[in-house]
Amino acid sequence: MLNSIPSFTRLVSELAKFPGIGNKTATRLAFFLLRQPEAETEALASALLDLKRRTRFCSVCFHITEEDPCQICTDKGRDDTLICVVEDPQALLAIERSRSFKGRYHVLHGALSPLDGIGPADLKVAPLIRRLEQGTIQEMLIATNFTVEGDATALYLAKLTQHLGIKLTRLAYGIPMGSELEYVDEATVNRAVEGRREL
Amino acid sequence: MILECLKAYNYRNLAATELSWNEKFNVVYGSNAQGKTNLLEAIYLFGHLKSFRNARGSDLIRHNAETARLNATIKRHKVRHQLEITLAKAGRTPKINGKTVQKLTQFLGHLRTVIFTPEELGIIKGYPAGRRALLDRAILQTDPTYLERVQEFDRVLRQRNQLLKQQSSFKELIPWNSAFVRTGGIIRYERINYLERFRSQLRLVYKEITGGTETADVHYSVAPGALQCLTEQLATDLDKNYQREQKLGLTLAGPHRDDLEFLVDDRLLRTFGSQGQQRSFLLAFKAAQVVDLEKQLKESPILLLDDLASELDASRQEGFFSFLLQRQSQVFLTAAQLPKLAISVRQTASYFKVDQGMIFLTTPE
Ligand SMILES: Nc1ncnc2c1ncn2[C@@H]1O[C@H](COP(=O)(O)OP(=O)(O)OP(=O)(O)O)[C@@H](O)[C@H]1O
Ligand SMILES: [Mg+2]
Ligand SMILES: [Zn+2]
Repeated sequence: MLNSIPSFTRLVSELAKFPGIGNKTATRLAFFLLRQPEAETEALASALLDLKRRTRFCSVCFHITEEDPCQICTDKGRDDTLICVVEDPQALLAIERSRSFKGRYHVLHGALSPLDGIGPADLKVAPLIRRLEQGTIQEMLIATNFTVEGDATALYLAKLTQHLGIKLTRLAYGIPMGSELEYVDEATVNRAVEGRREL
Repeated sequence: MILECLKAYNYRNLAATELSWNEKFNVVYGSNAQGKTNLLEAIYLFGHLKSFRNARGSDLIRHNAETARLNATIKRHKVRHQLEITLAKAGRTPKINGKTVQKLTQFLGHLRTVIFTPEELGIIKGYPAGRRALLDRAILQTDPTYLERVQEFDRVLRQRNQLLKQQSSFKELIPWNSAFVRTGGIIRYERINYLERFRSQLRLVYKEITGGTETADVHYSVAPGALQCLTEQLATDLDKNYQREQKLGLTLAGPHRDDLEFLVDDRLLRTFGSQGQQRSFLLAFKAAQVVDLEKQLKESPILLLDDLASELDASRQEGFFSFLLQRQSQVFLTAAQLPKLAISVRQTASYFKVDQGMIFLTTPE
């Protein structure tokens, strides 16, 4: 019966493309939207369009931004000698939220994964090398994810930049804060022990 | 660890009845194709989340059904836990006490199971992959986190092979080479360590079952060494094989190519073993696994014995039962006919009859 309402069906199909949303949830959301006043729907529609029309990637660090270069790249209070390399904007935001890092960033937009057809040319590696070659950066913190692919990407970058004489660091494998050792899974404890540091 | 109750919904041909099991010895009997092995497979699943048969997840779901579910009540260190496995076409979802687990390794280890089944006998004369899997499953029962190391290695291997197939530059291979060497070295190291410990148990148990006439042994195709040596050896092999690997598009040496040799009286079981020797060996392998688990965990795994009677002659069966009597394990034993058991076992055992997937408690005679 729902198929007899083409505009409804069309919206459900679009919503069902979202990550983590199946047909059931999409239908529920569509019914919710249906009952909304028109002004609300207009606000949502223009927010969606704005997001697309106003944002782009920063031409320096490739983070999402409305102005180019982005706020992080133009922030005078940040350390120009330190750069943090992440896989995606989400990772950048996670580090920013922690307020633990005061250098610059570089977003790769992915990690090496031959099985998915992703090689160095598909990532923002070349612009990173150009930034490093300018000579200001003294330390590169590689904060790619702790996956097989993230690790390989880190190693690849390390090899690639060896000759530049930049200090290379990797995020430490850690025990989540507030967790008791007893309840942390063994693999994490293992890596935390391997990556122990002097007090 | 004890399996107290089991409920199966839409699991193969098993009927949805709730069954309470004997803490010591369960005899499950019935004609062919009634569901005896299916029952053992369902219990086994709690320890491995994978069947010992070459079955896909969807094979385990009753024909024409969408999902299957297994519920177990277990007792460990005097505490009861509810374990649940939901099987669907898309995959399996394990739960502990009603809560979904974040990692499979958190589920594994709650109910450790060791199975002896004629369906695994082909492993002895089959391809090395079967023997490697047998070993990996044994290690996994002692240390569930081994699964993560194996999965990491598999992923690295597949990524590396993909690059080789694409004829990529050596520069692109470098990070995958070092990941391969690191993860592969760990797998070899753990396999070798396990076998070093396991070998003496295997010899003892094999002697016991066969009445001391033959000696059994296992050999891994890579010599023991420190983790660093094993890692360096893998690196050397990668260098040596680079040209050929590039041409063939696959990785020629590593834990994925190793073999585990089974020997009786220093002769390869794969080429010289009689049917009886193969069965005794596999049984001894499983029994040694039980002893090792008891030593490592101070806790007995659940022993699943499928169709033992049709596999061993009377004297070897007797040897095995005397081994069993020294164990603390809860045992599930299947047979087409009611087996003749030693009096001490018979008195404590419970008997279950299986008929077209329905299982019920009986009192024989
Ligand atoms: N997915 C499934 N759905 C329904 N029935 C199934 C399914 N898979 C297997 N079966 C049935 O289960 C039966 C086999 O059960 P099982 O292998 O446990 O037999 P068994 O009692 O061990 O017999 P045997 O003594 O010959 O070893 C067969 O009748 C088979 O058709
Ligand atoms: Mg059977
Ligand atoms: Zn920027």
